[in-house]
Amino acid sequence: MSGIALRNIRKAYPGGPTVLHDVSMEFHPGEFIVIVGPSGCGKSTLLRLIAGLERADAGEIEIAGIRANDLAPQDRDIAMIFQNYALYPHMSVRENISFGLELRGMPKAQRNRRAEEVARMLQLEPYLERKPGALSGGQRQRVAMGRAMARNTSTFLMDEPLSNLDNALRVAMRTEIKDLHRQLGATIVYVTHDQTEALSLADRVAVMKDGHLQQFDRPEVIYDRPANRFVAGFLGVPPINFVAAEKLPGWQGMQGLTAGLRPDILSVHAQKPAGPALEARLVLSEMTGSDLLLHCDSAAGRLTAIAPRRAMSDPAAQLWISYDLDRALFFDNDSGERVDLARDLRSIRTAEE
Amino acid sequence: MKPENPVVAVLSLVVGLLFLSPVLYSIWMSFQTADAFYAGRVTFTLDNYERAVGQFNFARYLLNSLIVSGLVTVLGITVATLAAFAFARFTFRGGDLLFGATVATLMIPSHISLIPNYLTLAKVGLLDTYAGLILPAISNGFAAFFLRQYIRGIPKALDEAAYMDGASPLTVLWRIIVPLSKPAIASMALYIFITEWNNYIWPLVAVGRQDLYTLQIGLARLYKINPGEGLVDWPLVMAASTITILPVLAGFLFVERHLVRGITMGAGK
Repeated sequence: MSGIALRNIRKAYPGGPTVLHDVSMEFHPGEFIVIVGPSGCGKSTLLRLIAGLERADAGEIEIAGIRANDLAPQDRDIAMIFQNYALYPHMSVRENISFGLELRGMPKAQRNRRAEEVARMLQLEPYLERKPGALSGGQRQRVAMGRAMARNTSTFLMDEPLSNLDNALRVAMRTEIKDLHRQLGATIVYVTHDQTEALSLADRVAVMKDGHLQQFDRPEVIYDRPANRFVAGFLGVPPINFVAAEKLPGWQGMQGLTAGLRPDILSVHAQKPAGPALEARLVLSEMTGSDLLLHCDSAAGRLTAIAPRRAMSDPAAQLWISYDLDRALFFDNDSGERVDLARDLRSIRTAEE
Repeated sequence: MKPENPVVAVLSLVVGLLFLSPVLYSIWMSFQTADAFYAGRVTFTLDNYERAVGQFNFARYLLNSLIVSGLVTVLGITVATLAAFAFARFTFRGGDLLFGATVATLMIPSHISLIPNYLTLAKVGLLDTYAGLILPAISNGFAAFFLRQYIRGIPKALDEAAYMDGASPLTVLWRIIVPLSKPAIASMALYIFITEWNNYIWPLVAVGRQDLYTLQIGLARLYKINPGEGLVDWPLVMAASTITILPVLAGFLFVERHLVRGITMGAGK
């Protein structure tokens, strides 16, 4: 097992924009790290730098305590799973899995045993002699994982490994990857633009935007205390509501703030409730299974609330929405940074009561 | 295949026959005796083939042609594949310029390099050797260009996966790129082989010794065998020509399957 440290990594493509600006992170051995961000944020480039497929313009990459900037990919004790799997089309599944072992000089019998072992773990045994072209998307994905696992490396890099699968398979593979991580105990660096994958898989999540690291922390912290407006907006389904804080009835705090209200801290009432609430007009209600998503227009702007379907069998057109200001997030309008107001607010509340 | 429009089918047949007619005519001619041919009579004889094979070290010329064309093909494909891999996959100082120069060689008629090549080989004493026949032909700009384009169509992620698996660049070339480029390499190998097989002017210039003559030179010498007064023995020449076609035809049948795929590459999955 080995940790990875990135220090002030900078990368620009020749003639192109800078894709990474002074990114620094440290991954502990055995950690499951997810790097998440919209496309073009530099997350894949970062992964390729760790793999050794690209060179950093500045900064330091350290793997297992050793400076790795100048190490070739094959000397980094790292395996990688590519977005489109990159299976060798002219080789059978067995050859795909054992190719890396062959290049490292493992004798054939031993190689075959290892390939079969890995195939058993991934339920690929019946397909060992097939070519990738004769496999389904999910099976190819498994072969890609098998190829990475065969070498017993201490670090796995995964570049959107589930993005080509349909939804049901994606959910199933997500569980399997998590399970594999537990079994192998290896460090995993996983790149995705899917926030559900980020929150459900990671020990720690790195959120990136435009080549800058926005926040790097445990998923709960990222969700509950996002560093800025971008992080708050990027993670969470349905997405957080942003409204000008002054427009919230009962608001007595400072000016120039945006309030972030996650749908689950909003409550919907048919009559005006006690305490601060917004009057709203229902625009659209979406059924999501056990819950209803209620999109409403209010004096503060468009708000999306979530309510249990059973309690809201037939939402009226005119509603009242109350909110739990203790759980609301506040962001500076100019910088976008989150402002910690919890203590102030509590005192305002007590004064009211 | 879909049944063709009959008009198209007939037109295709006509065009095909048009292309084939000189070949068919020369094959037909090779079975005539010289006397009958000049007298306008139709006969049938295998005599010309016997004489063609029997005269002038025919076997020797055939062997020389096989050695020269075979080695030019093997060495030429090796050089072109290595160059194509470098051009397709690596960025290096002057790479674009070098590639541009490689492509530019396609615009230079081969005869222009005839004299410089001759002088160079004369200086290093390689005239009248196999090496002198082979070396100038092993750099083939067209093959390098064609293979580079083909290799660029192979996803780079495959290379990267192999590097992660522990491969060196040459391993990537040999284990990933070459197997996946087989159709293109087969096409180019056949192209180089045929070009060299039919090469006339360079062997004529570079070689004076009879035991190094290739088939094309030997064939040209057959013109000098006159049955009578200043006449060329065309049936004899045609019999020899027909024999020289056979190895090329065999080569084509050998790589046909790959060749057709190479030509239609990119036309679908």
